Amino acid sequence: MLGWLIRTASSSIGKKALMALTGLLLIGFLVVHLAGNLTFYMDGDGAAFDSYAETLESNPLLPLAEFGLLVLFVTHIVLALRVTKQNRDARKSRYAVRATAGGSTAGSRSMVITGIVLLVFLVVHIMDFRLQNDGTESMAALVREELSAPLGAGLYAVAMLALGLHVSHAFKSAMQTLGCNHPKYTPLIEKVSLGLGIVLGLGFLSFPLVIFFLGGSAAGGQA
Amino acid sequence: MSAHAETDCLNLTLNIWRQEGPHATGSFEVRQLQDISTHMSFLEMLDCVNEDLVSEGREPVSFDHDCREGICGMCSLVINGQVHGPQPETTTCQLHMRHFKDGETITIEPFRAEAFPVVRDLCIDRTALDRIITSGGYISVNTGSPQDANATPIAKPDSDLAMDAAACIGCGGCVAACPNAAAMLFTGAKVSQLALLPQGAPERESRVLSMVETMDAEGFGNCTNEYECMAACPKAIDVSHIARMNREYMRASLVGSSP
Ligand code: HEM
Ligand code: FES
Repeated sequence: MLGWLIRTASSSIGKKALMALTGLLLIGFLVVHLAGNLTFYMDGDGAAFDSYAETLESNPLLPLAEFGLLVLFVTHIVLALRVTKQNRDARKSRYAVRATAGGSTAGSRSMVITGIVLLVFLVVHIMDFRLQNDGTESMAALVREELSAPLGAGLYAVAMLALGLHVSHAFKSAMQTLGCNHPKYTPLIEKVSLGLGIVLGLGFLSFPLVIFFLGGSAAGGQA
Repeated sequence: MSAHAETDCLNLTLNIWRQEGPHATGSFEVRQLQDISTHMSFLEMLDCVNEDLVSEGREPVSFDHDCREGICGMCSLVINGQVHGPQPETTTCQLHMRHFKDGETITIEPFRAEAFPVVRDLCIDRTALDRIITSGGYISVNTGSPQDANATPIAKPDSDLAMDAAACIGCGGCVAACPNAAAMLFTGAKVSQLALLPQGAPERESRVLSMVETMDAEGFGNCTNEYECMAACPKAIDVSHIARMNREYMRASLVGSSP
């Protein structure tokens, strides 16, 4: 009965469709995540950010949402690794000379690398702010602590540049994969993709930069 | 006189891929070429190489070609890292030596993909593409007396789009140019062409399902939307045909009437 489902999900097009769907939902999550994080800049002492974090954590449905996110990430990453392995296997003998004919972009060529950077970042990020957070410390203080260290700020900055690059190709790629390609709206999709990459990349990048260089004082943090 | 001859002639260094057979390990053979006319096609230049090789008592370089007028899809070659060479929308057989510079080194490789094993030197086996077509890239009709040409109305935009897709000459350059060695542009063009026409409608679902299944089984890669295929395609086939195949595939899988 579920034969069609397995056949579809394991086909090249089905795998990519699942990657595209999960990726789009992850982009949706990131937009909400960024909006929430921006409360960090709302007042001097990080009270708005703290209360946002508290509201989130006191929601009894949070574990459900987290489980949903986990499913999205795991599906996306497992498929990405499988697709990448198959793609490598499809050409084992490399070209001695390789030149682009002009189709690919920096974003499209680096999807695997930016994806792996994001994977490493995800593990660190969850350990930093989810597992290490016992609820006693202020969330804003924890963030400031983490991102004022050169290593922390550096890792976050690199990862957010990778995120920007990944998303700048991901959105339009997902649209094409899901069959949305039409002269009427493809030019718009390409702009939205670039815009999402820039907004999400720079938006999240602002936190390590502001905290590391200004001690979070643009957010009024008195350190 | 000699000045004229100079501007119309090239001295070149070629790195040509030589490989005895499918399982042999290949390597590049370096050859110096003198006085190659800029009016020659790339394949005529290779003919000169082969004349030299034969007169040296050696095996000529094997390379695929047939019509030499850009319509059959037999010629291939990756020239300095570019499928069908540096000219957009041009097959190797239609590429002329005037696009190269005197003293240039030209590296010539076969199309590389696991699904396209090297037969010898620059010749590759592209029958995987034929197997994709035989798994559904056709329409089944009873032959008989032809029906009236106007009996099947087709909207002009659809017939134009189908014609664009039908321009595929099946050279496999899309596979060779794809970083993932995917055959999505080739398969998409045929699925799309037939999906756009009423004649293709009866087998619309079974066609896309079985062509994609064959494509996957032949060991082609997955599409990551790099669009190198479209940029390399000698017939400039658009990736919107891939999107149409993606739609056709999901439609057939999710809401199609075939089990
Ligand atoms: C922050 C989270 C992430 C978001 C929002 C995201 C989003 C997306 C989207 C929308 C696509 C396009 C899918 C398509 O074209 O069908 C994509 C592709 C890809 N993602 Fe992610 N992704 C994320 C994290 C990751 C991670 C952690 C990896 C880890 C390995 C990864 C690896 C890939 C790869 C390799 C591709 C390219 C494959 C392709 O274009 O088909 N991504 N991503
Ligand atoms: S030899 Fe026929 S297309 Fe080039």
